[in-house]
Amino acid sequence: MAVRLDYVLKETGSNLRRNATLTIAAVLTVAVSLSLVAASFLIGKGINNSFLGLRSDVQLFIYMKPEATAEQIKSIKKDLDESPQVRKVDFYGKDKTFAEFKRLFADQPDLVSTIKPDELPQSFRVLPKSTDADVVAAVGKQFKSKAGVLRVEYAAEYARQVQRSLRTLNTWVLIVGGILIAASVLLIFNTIRTAVFARRREIEVMRLVGASNWFIRLPFMVEGLVHGLSGALLAALGAWGFDALWKKNFVNQVAFELLNQIRWSSGDLWLAIVVIFFVGALTGAVGSGIAVSRFLKI
Amino acid sequence: MIKLDNVTKIYKGEHVALRDASVDIAKGEFVFLVGPSGSGKSTFLRLLNREESPEQGRIYVAGKDIGELPGYKVPYLRRNIGSVFQDFKLLPNKTVYENVAFALEAIGRPKSAIKEAVPQILELVGLAKKAGNMPDELSGGEQQRVSIARAFVNRPLILLADEPTGNLDPATSVGIMKLLDRINRTGTTVVMATHDRGIVDTMRRRVIELDRSRIVRDQARGVYE
Repeated sequence: MAVRLDYVLKETGSNLRRNATLTIAAVLTVAVSLSLVAASFLIGKGINNSFLGLRSDVQLFIYMKPEATAEQIKSIKKDLDESPQVRKVDFYGKDKTFAEFKRLFADQPDLVSTIKPDELPQSFRVLPKSTDADVVAAVGKQFKSKAGVLRVEYAAEYARQVQRSLRTLNTWVLIVGGILIAASVLLIFNTIRTAVFARRREIEVMRLVGASNWFIRLPFMVEGLVHGLSGALLAALGAWGFDALWKKNFVNQVAFELLNQIRWSSGDLWLAIVVIFFVGALTGAVGSGIAVSRFLKI
Repeated sequence: MIKLDNVTKIYKGEHVALRDASVDIAKGEFVFLVGPSGSGKSTFLRLLNREESPEQGRIYVAGKDIGELPGYKVPYLRRNIGSVFQDFKLLPNKTVYENVAFALEAIGRPKSAIKEAVPQILELVGLAKKAGNMPDELSGGEQQRVSIARAFVNRPLILLADEPTGNLDPATSVGIMKLLDRINRTGTTVVMATHDRGIVDTMRRRVIELDRSRIVRDQARGVYE
């Protein structure tokens, strides 16, 4: 299957030029859909990060003093386990707390390196049997003054509501992104079909003289891939811009009390860009693959 | 070189295009396929390069059962079979030279080999001076010479011609037939479907006559009717 690279590039290039308007439409659709996917991915990461301690099954946090003894911790644990009000308890020891801290501040390595696991407060994350705010507060009160306890915090109901609405919004962004990806596949499919049609005489001759199937197919497959990857490139720029704008407008603004908690690391941004390119390549390959197999009689 | 064993081709499950055809064609033969339109001549040719596959029977080309060929090997079969058509099938946006070179590019021949082979074949078909012309600047006969050059540039074992003189006047047709005869004398097996009584009667080669999808005559040194 020796297909010369310069041949494929030449043919792909001339296909792309011949179909300039369709190509632009396909690339832009891919770009918009992948941008939405990237935004949704980043916000999703941000939501998980900001509310790590606020997972819906936790209502109550009991933070221990750093100097709390093992005895004190054990005694609190025993009381929680035996309390008829408590449904579930998670203990966050030094290592677990530090791991979570590292995840939350992954984009601030300076901060992470100055903190030692010993300096972080250990905590119990408690799910009471009742969700009634008064009952939760009563449980908290029992532990507030016990030996070794630093403080007790409650997961605020309004924070949870914000989290829920953001998740819903994010789901919709993802759904719209998904629909647009389907549209991208169809547009690429149509563009390739047009390209195949425009070259049907050449293809007929190629078949007659015994061109290998890959020789005939490859320029069209590469064309679809170019659509997907060009769209991904634009979407990567979009994601990068979104990241910068979000950080500038929300993260460093005290005014947006909840939005400024939604933050993601530069690692997350890179992951999003990798995802974009992967989905873009897949979109192009699927769209052109279907078109080639349906319209390119070999 | 070519062998058909009780071959039947049915289109869309009802229209029988070729019924129970058995033929043996030796290497280097020149064979005319004659018969009225729709009698199965084109189907016969299309079966040989596996443009179509038969419903029954077996077809051997160069000793191989081509029905057994996996799809990805079909192009390699076609590299051994040149095809010429009534409507030439030239690419209108390529010059004469490029049209012929395209056949070699498409099978991945190196540029140096293409540069050597194309002028040679254009010389053979008498179009060396028209290498830079576009197809629409040529006469019908010249266009057919280009298409023969394209079919033969890869020196195939077999040349299939489907009414190659169908669009040409008698004088021009004679020139095309001389060219095909010359190609045949290099050892290439030629199978040509035609309606041209004059050509068949003059050349006196093997004639296979088809009528309503059946082979009704197979005659050495035959005539049209």
